[in-house]
Amino acid sequence: MPIVANDGNGCGQAAFSYHSFMKKQIAIVEDEPALRENYAAALARHGYFIKTYGNRRLAMQAFNARLPDLAIIDISLEDEAEGGFDLCRDLRALSAELPIIFLTARDSELDAVSGLRLGADDFLTKDVSLPHLAARVAALFRRIDALRRPDNAAEILRRGALSVDGEKMQTTWNNIPVTLSLTEFWIVHALARNPGHVKNRQQLMDAANVVLDDNTITSHIKRVRRKFQQVDASFDAIQTVYGMGYRWVE
Amino acid sequence: MSIRLQLLAVALTTLVLPWAGCQYARELETALRGSQEESLLASAGTIANALSAQPQRVFRDPGDLAAFSAAAGDLYVYPLPTQPLLDGYRQDWNISASPAPMPTSTGYHARLQAGSTERYLYLYVEVDDAHFDAQPNGARPGQNRFDRVELTLQGSEGAPITYFFATNAPGLIPAQLVVKDDGVEHVAPESRIQAFWLQTSAGYHLEARIPLSFVAQRLWVEAIDGSGNGRCGADPATSPQGGRLFSTTSGLDSLLSTFVREGTRVTVIDANALKLGTAGSLRASLPGDADDSALTWYRYFIGADTSNMPIVANSPDHFGGDSVRDALQGHPHAQWVQGGGNLDLLLTAAAPILIDGQPRGAVVLEQSADQLLSLRDRAGSRLFNLTLLATACAVVIMLGFATWISMRIGRLGAAADSAVGSDGRIRLKMPESSSADEIGALARGFERLLARLNEHTQYLRTLGGKLSHELRTPLTIVRSSLDNLESEGLRDDQLRYITRAREGTARLQSILSALGAAARVEEIIKQSERVSFDLCELLASAVAAYRDGFPDARFTLELPEGASFVRGAPDLIAQLLDKLIENAVDFCPPGGAISVRLERIQTNYVLQVGNDGPLIGETLMGHLFESLFEQRAGRDDKPHFGLGLYIVRLIAEFHGGTAAAANRADGGGVVFSITLPMI
Repeated sequence: MPIVANDGNGCGQAAFSYHSFMKKQIAIVEDEPALRENYAAALARHGYFIKTYGNRRLAMQAFNARLPDLAIIDISLEDEAEGGFDLCRDLRALSAELPIIFLTARDSELDAVSGLRLGADDFLTKDVSLPHLAARVAALFRRIDALRRPDNAAEILRRGALSVDGEKMQTTWNNIPVTLSLTEFWIVHALARNPGHVKNRQQLMDAANVVLDDNTITSHIKRVRRKFQQVDASFDAIQTVYGMGYRWVE
Repeated sequence: MSIRLQLLAVALTTLVLPWAGCQYARELETALRGSQEESLLASAGTIANALSAQPQRVFRDPGDLAAFSAAAGDLYVYPLPTQPLLDGYRQDWNISASPAPMPTSTGYHARLQAGSTERYLYLYVEVDDAHFDAQPNGARPGQNRFDRVELTLQGSEGAPITYFFATNAPGLIPAQLVVKDDGVEHVAPESRIQAFWLQTSAGYHLEARIPLSFVAQRLWVEAIDGSGNGRCGADPATSPQGGRLFSTTSGLDSLLSTFVREGTRVTVIDANALKLGTAGSLRASLPGDADDSALTWYRYFIGADTSNMPIVANSPDHFGGDSVRDALQGHPHAQWVQGGGNLDLLLTAAAPILIDGQPRGAVVLEQSADQLLSLRDRAGSRLFNLTLLATACAVVIMLGFATWISMRIGRLGAAADSAVGSDGRIRLKMPESSSADEIGALARGFERLLARLNEHTQYLRTLGGKLSHELRTPLTIVRSSLDNLESEGLRDDQLRYITRAREGTARLQSILSALGAAARVEEIIKQSERVSFDLCELLASAVAAYRDGFPDARFTLELPEGASFVRGAPDLIAQLLDKLIENAVDFCPPGGAISVRLERIQTNYVLQVGNDGPLIGETLMGHLFESLFEQRAGRDDKPHFGLGLYIVRLIAEFHGGTAAAANRADGGGVVFSITLPMI
């Protein structure tokens, strides 16, 4: 039995307040009821306390009262085509650390860029499977935990100017932090782990726990390059091998 | 049949104008003819009235009403215009009529003709008598037998005098007569009456000249054979009165000439239809008639049919024909006849000369149709020329108009043909659409049609993207429900169905992804940045990957020397290549080769991807690069929405290039060419 209560207004409440102290609380803001319940059920099964909201107003009311540990937000919410973006902005204003995942049917490059620029940690399309979603949620929580612990150098991957902290999911280039989304981080991580090896798109998708089409992988790579180039204009460590994939070159 | 030919055929119907002109000319001719008949008949009547008032100036003997009888020795005296030579020949008489046979009862044949000048009466006798019996010197008729022609003239004192012509030596001879001198008959010459005796193989000719003073109203001519009883001619015994001389009335010609109009001939005939006098000539020259011969060909088209008109051959001495016959019975009559040697068209009008209410003769007016024809020809030819000119103008104008129309329609047709370009773009503007006429309306109709087609195409183009977007949420619901169901701890047989449902959703997912591919590429293109990159390097790398990716296919790669830099998005070019290679692999038969080739042509790079697959039909060629155009005969596991080559085109166009497909010249496959400009 998932630990989700629904009062019929699209707003779920924890059934046992005891659990709510123990468990991580996840807020799902999604206007499609069937989808919302499915996500809630799947994540509750993984031991999270889920609260669901059907629109931005209800969600914001609840967030003002208490912040969740993680928020999963759809972009279009009922009559607000970009309500999710507004919600993300407001939520980020409330907390700089709160992990936020966009989960949306909109897959355009522009939406992804906008969402990530607003401070979301990940931008997922609804093609993502529930296990993948759970993996991401877990990864984000793990990062938060890792950030609270002292540095564990063993988890740090160093490739020249690059250093990738697998626990904290932090990337630096020449010791300057590069802010990557979760998907982007996993792509960089997968490439950097075996420099010189060509990773095809499927391998990158597997590493990032996503199902994406080729063009989306391409735009992820493009975004990653751009983020590194903002730090170091001469960055060209990610090489395209046409027809095959990408590789990290040192 | 082109519009031009159709309109030309229509224009040719204006040939009815010349035809109508011909009809008009014919009717004009009929009317002219009628009026000419009337006017000529009126003239004839006037002359006849005038002449009937002075019969003594017309008729030799107004009281002599007996009919002309050749059997009784009546003789018509032709007027001779000049003095003929006494030579035994009558050619110089210029009379077309032959001498008339003399009456005979013996089988002895001779022919006689008479003519007169102002002073002399001429006789011409032609005797068929092969045996010449010469006159012994001084021999008298009855005393000796010899060939002779006897001429008995009614003397002025009342007693007839008989002269005879005979000789023992042909040549110029005087007439002889028997005189009683002291009771002795002997032969005496009358040298005032001269004749020429001409001996021929068939007989002899005698041409005699008698002063008119010897001649009264009557005479007898007899030809008598010397060696037999043959004789011919009306002899005094059988014709006691003798033959009458019917001659023209002296002074009548000059009288008639006062009535004559130009181009007409007036002739007065007596009750025997014999000419009494004539004046005027048929031939009259009209001014400006020089081009007469040039006009005659019109007559072929416009002339009334004259071949059924009666042919009336007038002999020089008398007239025939219906009009003359009617007139001599007292009824004026006009008639068109064909007469003369060359059957010229003649109008004859005859009016009776009535004396005491009895027709004693007639005035015959003849007019050549030449004048009429000339009038008609002039009117007709002008009409004919004008209508022909009008027809020619109409044909030229129609032809020009038809050319213009068909040119416009042709231009519209060509524009309609090419309205949907080979790149699938629809040209919305049609030529001629600003014209106010039906062609303009047609062009505007085309424009509306194309606009709707364009809307429809645009809708179809976005449909894939929309569908893929709209179906994503329900698909996600299905899939996430399956995910949840799977974690409920199901039995194995239940899991089997879950797996199938999952496979179904995966396929649905890939279909949606393919449907939305073009829309995504369009979006990526909007955001792509252009960088310079080496096409050779990209191709080399990509083809190497394809060799791994498609182990069953054989790839060949041809690259130019050196680097080939273009400006654009290498990822998009790689995607373009992916699509072309996928396409080539799909169509290439097993064992066939896929050739990738880059060439520098002028300022462009031409990337060619060829395969040995089946040729592309001419009709499909222009549509290959259109959105949602799919012509795959076979089915395979991958969904095809006809977007692959459309994406190729989008990417080529983003790089300022073009995409084209062609069959290899040797028919051994298909080549897709992408032209990309150099930097």
